[in-house]
Amino acid sequence: MAVQALKRFETGDGQSATLSNVVIRLVLLLAIDAFAIWFAVRAFGEGYLPLGIAIALIAAGVNYVILVKEMYPIRWMLLGLILMAMFSIYPILLTVFVAFTNYGDGHLLTKPQSIEQITKARFVPEGGSAYTWTGYSNEAGDYALWLQSENGDSFLAFPGQTLIPAAEATGLGELDSEGIPESVGDYERLNAFQVASDQNISTIQFGSELDGVQIRSPQEAAQLQPKFAYDEANDIINDLETGVSYTPVEGRWTAANGDELTAGFRANVGLDNFTRFFQSPAFRGPLVRIIIWNFAFAFFSVFATFALGLAIAYVFNDPEFPGRKIIQSFLLIPYTIPSLITILIWRGMFNPQVGVINRTLSDLIGIAPAWTVDPWLAKIAILIVNLWLGYPYFMLICSGALQAIPGDLYEAASIDGANAWQQFYKITLPLLLVAVGPLLVASFTFNFNNFNIIFLFIEGGPPIAGSPTRAGHTDILISYVYNLAFAAGRGKEYGLGAAITIVIFVVVAVITLFQFRYTKMWEEVGEGV
Amino acid sequence: MKNYFFKAAVVALAMIVLVACGGDTQQVVEEAAQQVEEAAQQVQENSEEIAEQVDQAAAEAEQAVEEAQEAVEEAVTEAEEAAEEVVDEAEEVMEFETSITIWADDTRAPILSELAEGFQNEYGVGLVVEQVADINDQFPIAAPAGEGPDILILAHDRIGGFYASGLLAPLDLGDTAGEFLPVSVDAFTYEGDLVGMPYAIENLGFFYNTDLVETAPTTWDEVIEVGGALVESGDATYAIALTGTTYDMFPLQTAFGGYVFGQSEAGYDPSDVGIDSEGMIAAGEFVQTNVEAGLISDSLDWDTAHVQFETGEIPFLMAGPWALDRIREAGVPYGIAPFPTAEKEGQPFLGVQGFAVNALSENVLLAQTFLTEFVATEDVMRQLAESGNRPSAFAAVASEDPDLVSLGDAGVNALPMPAIPEMGSVWGSWGDAFTLIVNGEQSAEDALTNGGEQIRALIAGEELPEEEGEEETDE
Repeated sequence: MAVQALKRFETGDGQSATLSNVVIRLVLLLAIDAFAIWFAVRAFGEGYLPLGIAIALIAAGVNYVILVKEMYPIRWMLLGLILMAMFSIYPILLTVFVAFTNYGDGHLLTKPQSIEQITKARFVPEGGSAYTWTGYSNEAGDYALWLQSENGDSFLAFPGQTLIPAAEATGLGELDSEGIPESVGDYERLNAFQVASDQNISTIQFGSELDGVQIRSPQEAAQLQPKFAYDEANDIINDLETGVSYTPVEGRWTAANGDELTAGFRANVGLDNFTRFFQSPAFRGPLVRIIIWNFAFAFFSVFATFALGLAIAYVFNDPEFPGRKIIQSFLLIPYTIPSLITILIWRGMFNPQVGVINRTLSDLIGIAPAWTVDPWLAKIAILIVNLWLGYPYFMLICSGALQAIPGDLYEAASIDGANAWQQFYKITLPLLLVAVGPLLVASFTFNFNNFNIIFLFIEGGPPIAGSPTRAGHTDILISYVYNLAFAAGRGKEYGLGAAITIVIFVVVAVITLFQFRYTKMWEEVGEGV
Repeated sequence: MKNYFFKAAVVALAMIVLVACGGDTQQVVEEAAQQVEEAAQQVQENSEEIAEQVDQAAAEAEQAVEEAQEAVEEAVTEAEEAAEEVVDEAEEVMEFETSITIWADDTRAPILSELAEGFQNEYGVGLVVEQVADINDQFPIAAPAGEGPDILILAHDRIGGFYASGLLAPLDLGDTAGEFLPVSVDAFTYEGDLVGMPYAIENLGFFYNTDLVETAPTTWDEVIEVGGALVESGDATYAIALTGTTYDMFPLQTAFGGYVFGQSEAGYDPSDVGIDSEGMIAAGEFVQTNVEAGLISDSLDWDTAHVQFETGEIPFLMAGPWALDRIREAGVPYGIAPFPTAEKEGQPFLGVQGFAVNALSENVLLAQTFLTEFVATEDVMRQLAESGNRPSAFAAVASEDPDLVSLGDAGVNALPMPAIPEMGSVWGSWGDAFTLIVNGEQSAEDALTNGGEQIRALIAGEELPEEEGEEETDE
């Protein structure tokens, strides 16, 4: 392969590559491969399967593109393609992967991590003793413990030797007020931190096999035995204290009687997340009403922003208009401020009691509409805010598109006796829609999923009275599902969340496809002119 | 002139290189600095001689020398500073073989950083304090990836989810356990295991405007009576300011006998949802009646309620320690009283802040030692309490701030915020029910019964049989 590749490099593409050039390329490729292999192996080792696969695939793609002559042009896009794979395709694949697992609270660890955590647990068997401990070490780094039992007996303990009762111990230094020696022979007393700094300290057995103790907390050392053991052959965890076996069931170590061990792991659960979503109470809610409002919200948002944007652009299309550049710049301001801030400001302004809108209205005409309480007013308020946020975009787009319409068409039209409205309706609009149509679809899709404004402005409220699930009058599909799936339930469930994301993606994709059909129609209109 | 600059630059560069090469840096720098100074002096002397001979040239030369000298001095100080930095860094890296990493919020991180030096010097163990804004979101992702801290700061209502996921190591407080408020230790106990060490508690208090009201009312009827009289006389816009959140209304609801989850010996029981209990409905009716009577606002909002109390428009407010600063700044004269009663005593929710140990850390024993031997001492606990504006969970640290004492008294009977994950299913529907009650769209009984059903459906999830179809969807 490499030899062939070398030949290709030498004879290939007309501009014969020099040998050093080829060598540099190959060395670079080798370096990339080495890094990718190291990274992928690490990822596999740590249990990050999708990441490892993604890295391997990207590396394979790089090799293919560089070594195969036909792929030569792709080389110039390689960096872009890799970035796209990393930041766009990999997250999508990961989402799909996670949708089939139970990743979430209670299932955050990988299986090896879960086994490691569970088998760390130890217990004191019946008749076992527990002591408070004080640590010592000598220059060679060996440890010793001074143990005190609850009834006041003290022992000296060395690893692997029978416990020495305090009375028989030799070489004890001065005793402190609690009867603990300051030193033992050449062993110096340590503080708890010095002992705890040794990461292996809790695995050392102080004393003989019969009476040995291990440190289990900053206070206590006890005759500990491992509580659980993992049986790799049968893939079960055995409780060594009670003899119960736990088998993995959907990411939980489960006993025959249904008991579960703490710390489950991420496991494949097949289509569970999808069936759970489709059987969830969400579908008993006022879905039809939410979907109708969702479409209405997206449609009116696009319609209003487009209409206002076009109207402004149309007015300012006249180069004679005084101060148009300055006014147009000011009109762009809503587009330049982060929508997050704008929405929160509007939320304050629409506050029925202290908001500036109602204060002004009640001072001027003596009414104070309940913007956040009345369902219809809340919907209108949201559309007003979205209009404010959205019109500058269409103003920008339309200004450009209007200038692209040739002036002689209007000249011809006015010679034919068309009035201004006819000119707008028969010439401007069709030609404009050719350019703007796809953007209208994009805007519709964006607003269909415009979670930010719904959630930040009013959190989907006001609530629908008597709804079988929690729903608000301004809830759109995504905010409704968010409330049920994430704000509620058993903590964070990334698996379920990923599954819902995929379902919503399918819904939006279908809607978008249908709409692109319509924009093709517009294109035909454009071609016909 | 250029020449001098060039030389100075070369010398400075050489010094920086020397510094960077390490070794006995301080001495090297000092020697180099001396040499530079000597050189500079020599230059000055030379140029002075020239100045005596040629006036104009001398003036120029002098100026040049001055500038050169400045440049040299600057270079020297810069090099010295750089050397110091290198030495400092070297010290930091070299001194500790092991260190403990703590994730703390923006209030706690500065205090812990201050404590770090003393701790490091005393015990020879490094202490790295990292300020992390959203610990609750970051930790469950970082810990399994091996990127988590050894210790994190969290509120007790998150321990359930984390402990069930195997992310928290159980703690043994040993003898010090008795020094914490029992209610705070209970809050950090999950399924019989202690999984965190509390340091502060927080709960609501009943604030009243001492200008408008002389003595705090003891019953809810009295609250309405006193507040209503003030509304009638035009001194107040409403009798009491409610923020609209059910968390803030909880002391009122519990006073009428309402509850969220029934309590059994094992803690909160998710199968016993009390959102539609008689007491909760009675509380709802109390609110609705008074909204209709114009004594409680019909559009509740957290900020509005606080502003109205702070400007003296409304005499009563239930608020937490987080609002203390803004209420004090507003300058409204206030007192904090025990919660009014109705059927029984009103109880706020209790939140407990604490430390927990990451079970996947390599230093579990060291982290536990740090908490029980260093943090669980009066000194450290006092420092944590002083800056946080919260009553301490450590009994020996009695606050001197009378407001915190009052809040602590109000929290004696507080109910720990349920740490069971099912609590997540409650907030939304519970809040919606009270919104509908305040709006007057539904009676308290209808709104809360429906809310209770929504919550039970969510907790049961897919296990609930599908009895209702989509008939409910028409308006």
